[in-house]
Amino acid sequence: MTTLKVIEVNSIIKTYKSEGLETNVLKGISIAIDEGDYVSIIGPSGSGKSTLMTILGCLGQATSGTYLLDKEEVGQLSDRELSRIRNEKIGFVFQAFHLLPGVSAFDNVMIPLIYCSKTPKDAKERVERALIRVGLEHRMNHTPGQLSGGEQQRVTIARSLINDPKIILADEPTGNLDSKNGIEIMATFDNLNEEGRTIIIITHDSVVSEHARRILTLRDGQIASDRINENFKKPRAGFSRVATQ
Amino acid sequence: MRISRNLVQAFRGLRLNKGNTFLMTLGIMIGIASLTVIVAIGEGTKSKVLSRIASLGFGPESFSVYSGAGRLFFGRNRNVTSMTLQDADDIRAMPEVAIVVPRQRKRMRIINKKEFTSTRVYGVSPEWQPARQWKVVDGTFFNDMDMERKRKVIVLGATPAYNLFGEKDPIGKKIRVGQVFFEVIGLLKKKGLTESGYDPDNRALIPLTTSMSRLFRQAHLHSMKVVSIHPEMVQKTMEGVTQILRRNHGLSSLADDDFRFVTPEGIMQWVTESEQALNRMLFLVSTVSLLVGGVVIMNILLVSIRERIREIGVRRCFGARRSDITQQFLFESILVSLLGGLMGAILGWTLSTALRHFDFLPVKITLDPFLLAFIFSMIVGLIFGIYPARKAALLSPDETIR
Ligand SMILES: Nc1ncnc2c1ncn2[C@@H]1O[C@H](COP(=O)(O)OP(=O)(O)OP(=O)(O)O)[C@@H](O)[C@H]1O
Ligand SMILES: [Mg+2]
Repeated sequence: MTTLKVIEVNSIIKTYKSEGLETNVLKGISIAIDEGDYVSIIGPSGSGKSTLMTILGCLGQATSGTYLLDKEEVGQLSDRELSRIRNEKIGFVFQAFHLLPGVSAFDNVMIPLIYCSKTPKDAKERVERALIRVGLEHRMNHTPGQLSGGEQQRVTIARSLINDPKIILADEPTGNLDSKNGIEIMATFDNLNEEGRTIIIITHDSVVSEHARRILTLRDGQIASDRINENFKKPRAGFSRVATQ
Repeated sequence: MRISRNLVQAFRGLRLNKGNTFLMTLGIMIGIASLTVIVAIGEGTKSKVLSRIASLGFGPESFSVYSGAGRLFFGRNRNVTSMTLQDADDIRAMPEVAIVVPRQRKRMRIINKKEFTSTRVYGVSPEWQPARQWKVVDGTFFNDMDMERKRKVIVLGATPAYNLFGEKDPIGKKIRVGQVFFEVIGLLKKKGLTESGYDPDNRALIPLTTSMSRLFRQAHLHSMKVVSIHPEMVQKTMEGVTQILRRNHGLSSLADDDFRFVTPEGIMQWVTESEQALNRMLFLVSTVSLLVGGVVIMNILLVSIRERIREIGVRRCFGARRSDITQQFLFESILVSLLGGLMGAILGWTLSTALRHFDFLPVKITLDPFLLAFIFSMIVGLIFGIYPARKAALLSPDETIR
């Protein structure tokens, strides 16, 4: 494992102000994440996990604190540059899938390529490869409504991978899935991590968090614990990685 | 090209949100359709008036005096009976006057056996023909003798002649006008429909004396045509005519004229004025209808953006810039306006054609409103799309995705 830090956040504070009411959601968070690491963030509901993810994913700015992503200070960047980072360096996976309704799996996976600085010539092949990789070569022209939950989540993984990002940010990726589909999705993440991609997964589920090498616990907007998972990469019963190959 | 990719996304957005797309299209479509129909009616009215003037057969040295106060063809009182043959004789005696044609006029039904038609019947003096310089293609015009003897002779325009006799020669035939039989002695040269559908050939002429004593049975005149000896004498002639008529009609110096002049200049001035008024109204109506269409688009887009907040969030997550979102929604609004404009133009054209076909209103279809409709609808789409598009773009990504 390299010691290059892909993410370095320092004393991040996030305060929501609405109608004179101030909510301190993140109260000084500092983490450094190595490139290629496999991290899960757990914690009770309302502890600020999703908020932290929007900041890590450059979807929103922290109220104060610094954030270095790939050695770039995110707080200083314009909308244009933030969009480029989201496009090139980060792949998002959401609990609610967030696929465009009525749009085929193929076109959903294509979305990140629309907003590239230059759409690659082999875009079509890349989309096909990504969908084959998640085992959906026979569902390319199906719309989300015609796909099962597990299939939809696999489409979102293909979408997050299409631009070959360094970091995958997943917010409760198994939250809407049954255990069988959950296991398959987690196997895919394990696989992606083995390829060297940095994976950050937010979850409630201890089975899911046990896939990660490092487990962060968030409580009331602060890091309550930060530990290395001794069970990491131990063979787990009940699934095989072959499923995603 | 990023912009063309956003255009493609706009097409997709419209396709996926058919309901909203339909409503937006409808808003613009109705605006543009009403605009094109109104313009067509406006143009039709204008050209009808213009061709009416042309068919009046005014030379620069002539004008008409109509009985009754008012302006041009619009008398304020239809029952004025003050204008008489005495007036015509007095005016004819003026040195500046070359010809006076006293006229009576009524729309009547004329009948040949089983065929009948309705036409404008004029009682005029024989000077009508030299004053109008309208050729008689068959037979003759009536003369002073016919006038003196109050003969029941009639000269037909091409339209009633055709309606009653078809291709047959009408000369020498007897026809009935109201309850009175007339002999057809002449046929006027056909002038043909004017552009707007006004038919100058739809008329019949009888001696004035006959119309006074045997047909209309009234002594007063409808109007007089006055030809002065020189175009420059027209003004002076009109002043003289005014004096004579006021004196003959016994009007005190405080009373208004009970007659009115119809001159080529007067008509032209009136046409210009009404054209300006019409154009102002057209401008107002089209602005309002397009504004309505624009507001419809803006509101539906705002609703649409609220419905599609997830989509915006997803696009932003995967690299869409604010400008991409702005462009996409602007394109959607412009495309929908263009579509509405196109459909509105088609609908407007159809309605105008139908109006013309069924002869409800004078209609003249010109290309201009359709071109304008296109340009305007695009501008409307652009202007009313800006606010919703910016609003969508300025949503922060983390708000749109949660
Ligand atoms: N826009 C906002 N305005 C005000 N408060 C907010 C806003 N967004 C989030 N919060 C608050 O911030 C807190 C943390 O929210 P967050 O979504 O990060 O929690 P979470 O850890 O992801 O919880 P869960 O496990 O239920 O998803 C919550 O109490 C929430 O009410
Ligand atoms: Mg959450």
